[in-house]
Amino acid sequence: MTQIAAERYTGASIKRSEDPRILTGSGRYVDDLKLPGMLHAAFVRSPLAHGRVLAVDVSAARALPGVVLVLTGADLEAVTVPGQDPLFAMMGGGGPAPEYTLLATDKVRFVGDPVAIVVAESRYLAEDGCDLVEVDYEDLPPVVSAAFALDPGSPPLFANLGDNIIGPHKRSEFGDVAGTFAAADQVAEYHIDVHRHQNVPMEGRGCVASFDPDSGLMTVYAATQSVHITKMGVATRLGMSPDTVRVLAGDIGGSFGLKIGASREELAAAAASRALGRPVKWVEDRGENLAASGQAREESFDVRIAVSNDGDLLGLDAAMVLDNGAYPVMGTMVPAIIEGMFPGPYKFAALGFESTAVATNKASYIAYRGPWASETFVRERVIDLLAKDLGLDPLEIRLRNIAPRTDPPFMMITGRPLVGVTAKESLERVAQMVDIPAFRRRQAAERARGRYLGIGMATFIEAAPGPRSPEAGSGPMGMEFMRLTLEYDGVVTLFTGQMPHGQSHQTTLAQIAADEFGVPFSQVRVVVGDTDVVPFGLTGGSRSATMTGGVALHGARQLKAKVLDFASLLFEASAQDLEITDGQVQVRGDPDSAVPVGEIAQQAASGQFDGDVDTSFEVEASFDGGEGGWSGGSHCAIVEVDTETGIVTVERYVAAEDCGALINPSVVEGQIRGGIAQGIGAVLLERSAYDADGNFQSATFMDYLLPTACDIPRIEIEHLQTVPLDADVNFRGVGEGGMIIAPPTVVNAIEDALAPFGVRIYEQHLPPARILELIAEADAG
Amino acid sequence: MREVTVRVNGAPRTGSVEARKTLADFLRDDLDLTGTHIGCEHGVCGACTVIVDGRAVRSCLMLAVQAAGSEITTIEGLATAQPQPTSPDRPPGAGLGTLQQAMWDSHSFQCGFCTPGFVMQATAYLDAHPDAGEQEIREALSGNICRCTGYQSIIDGVLLAAQRSREA
Repeated sequence: MTQIAAERYTGASIKRSEDPRILTGSGRYVDDLKLPGMLHAAFVRSPLAHGRVLAVDVSAARALPGVVLVLTGADLEAVTVPGQDPLFAMMGGGGPAPEYTLLATDKVRFVGDPVAIVVAESRYLAEDGCDLVEVDYEDLPPVVSAAFALDPGSPPLFANLGDNIIGPHKRSEFGDVAGTFAAADQVAEYHIDVHRHQNVPMEGRGCVASFDPDSGLMTVYAATQSVHITKMGVATRLGMSPDTVRVLAGDIGGSFGLKIGASREELAAAAASRALGRPVKWVEDRGENLAASGQAREESFDVRIAVSNDGDLLGLDAAMVLDNGAYPVMGTMVPAIIEGMFPGPYKFAALGFESTAVATNKASYIAYRGPWASETFVRERVIDLLAKDLGLDPLEIRLRNIAPRTDPPFMMITGRPLVGVTAKESLERVAQMVDIPAFRRRQAAERARGRYLGIGMATFIEAAPGPRSPEAGSGPMGMEFMRLTLEYDGVVTLFTGQMPHGQSHQTTLAQIAADEFGVPFSQVRVVVGDTDVVPFGLTGGSRSATMTGGVALHGARQLKAKVLDFASLLFEASAQDLEITDGQVQVRGDPDSAVPVGEIAQQAASGQFDGDVDTSFEVEASFDGGEGGWSGGSHCAIVEVDTETGIVTVERYVAAEDCGALINPSVVEGQIRGGIAQGIGAVLLERSAYDADGNFQSATFMDYLLPTACDIPRIEIEHLQTVPLDADVNFRGVGEGGMIIAPPTVVNAIEDALAPFGVRIYEQHLPPARILELIAEADAG
Repeated sequence: MREVTVRVNGAPRTGSVEARKTLADFLRDDLDLTGTHIGCEHGVCGACTVIVDGRAVRSCLMLAVQAAGSEITTIEGLATAQPQPTSPDRPPGAGLGTLQQAMWDSHSFQCGFCTPGFVMQATAYLDAHPDAGEQEIREALSGNICRCTGYQSIIDGVLLAAQRSREA
């Protein structure tokens, strides 16, 4: 399927090159860094959801021995350049741009909003200093719910907006929405809520900023998904020329969308370092991470679905309200992605979609693994609700409405071709894996004994990278770049803008390049995390399998061609007659002629060749994604609900996935399982909670509950035979799918378990207390 | 400031610390043993787990002064040889302990931040329960949080290590 010179490593579960260092404590995370003269930062944060800052008295903090610098919001504004969140600015924003300062100046807008930075000789002393900063606040009425934020009478968070509409109402229609709904046999309406939850990587955000006053150079050691985007943020907001800013990153302890760009706190730390001419470390603690790093997903949907009596899904019309929290980072960009993805793999003939994003006094809405995932949750939840209302089987209604794989491909009503989608096959496969008829018999027998089992399934597609659109000149996900060199010791070095934080790129990219170039796996080095040497890039959006895997393949091919062209002089043979096998250049089929590639590289560097001979073993490769393609799959869960305690146990979880050609099956399965675990956590445990006054209620791991080894079952995964679309590159992204599809899968199973009670579920967060309420409400109804 | 002497990974180490300094910060800041990670600082996530006098301990909940005189093992103390820069003739991972090797073989981890805590917790548990089965291991590790893996690969690594130890 995927055309690689020799598939020796690609497709095998090669052990990760990252592991020896992380298993021995030799990883280098940002908090492990210690620079001479380094100081430590901590932040004074708002205890109020919404308030006016009347005065900030830092005199006692400044007087504390060990405290070196205290900057208020106003102090920081004086030494930085005004602007929006760097990611928001880079992505072109969306909607109006409200006031945005690195530290609060006149107002605080959520519990945890940073008000002052204290820099001291240790983190302990910095926190002591924070305790001594006196802030006078005037309480303002908090805007905690989206419903209140939509009220024109709600107190505006941002004076320059006048109201709390941060993403203005927008409506799009695809196909004949009015006609489709008018002609349909039935139209069902549902209101679906998705609750606020968050990334929670085990390592929070952090950086060490080190400004050298002699050279004027700023070096930032960051935990980031893109060193270049962080660099852009630092240069822009500190008013520095980009060539004076260097961003480095080592090991990163997870992110899931959190660590993109440069956060307000990181920019404040960098500004403090510049002010002092000394390195400043800021590493957030868990309370800061939970309260202030950002949260995701709080959205509600009013959905209408048009359907025939036979169960043909005809039209979908959804109105979404997104609760953006305080500041615009990602929230206003999400509705457009949701709109495009809403039809999923189904043949809807009409889609209406409208959205409004509102500002509330909660932490800012950020990207979290599959930021648009609510479209899948809503669609797959609504299909199950509809199936119950129509008396149809949830599997049958899905299979009936999956778009057929045709040539030319069926077009999503929102515009993209459903080329190579294997949703039908994955649904059928998970149904076989769990043996639904056998489960139904067991379910009936157990119900008679008072045990409530349920089964749920759901299907999704993910544009990772997405198909090449027929009319579009560019690829599905922009360009990806890579520099490749052959070193004198025979090591092929890949310089990538990917910034792995758990994705195993140092292994997977080396597998592809080793095969394509023809060297042992151990002879490929993957360099990441230094803006001085790696090209622009971002780890995110499940892009790296196709985009970076592809550029590694094509780049290795180009580098190999260069080496063979040069070697043809040494071998006095045509390059076509030479090959590279196991790190040796040889005449095809003649191992006696073999010369190690390192020796070829040394010869090239010897200076004994004319200028017209290309002796630079370096290529700058790029890749546009080729034909691209969809990732996707179907999942099925069997749960048991204890109707006395409300506790849900996931008894079995199966996944049939199609992410194209696998680079490293163990890495792929790790991504899938990890995403599913986050999805199970989102449904059963996790919620970023605020009370009615906007007080943050989940600032510790005793309040924000994460799944443990006892909550996540063994997850059975099967990989479907994919439909290859590209001549060379059919690896597709798999980072986000588990988190996209697990919530509807699990909720559908819970509703099935509670069917004897007549429970209908219109929400995503189902902790035990809520399960008991649902049962009680259904009983009462 | 108090003077604290402990034995860490078999060697005596002394530092001068404030009474309020946690053992985790002492190991990381004063002894430069940054393999011990800090994930929550309130004793829930387990990333900072080290072995103190044979028992797995959350080093974020213990003060350095409380550890005075103790025998401490950190992640850095488990490998039988320190990791070396790798090259084609010197494979990575030479000298890994049984559990570390089994976890490498099982693709146990992704980002690696929780790893030291899991490795130390599992080391202490397997020492006391060499015949543990999957459910017991899941329960023993349920005080450690991993956000990347869904745990299965970690459990598989511990089971493999237990099996190899029994067969050795």
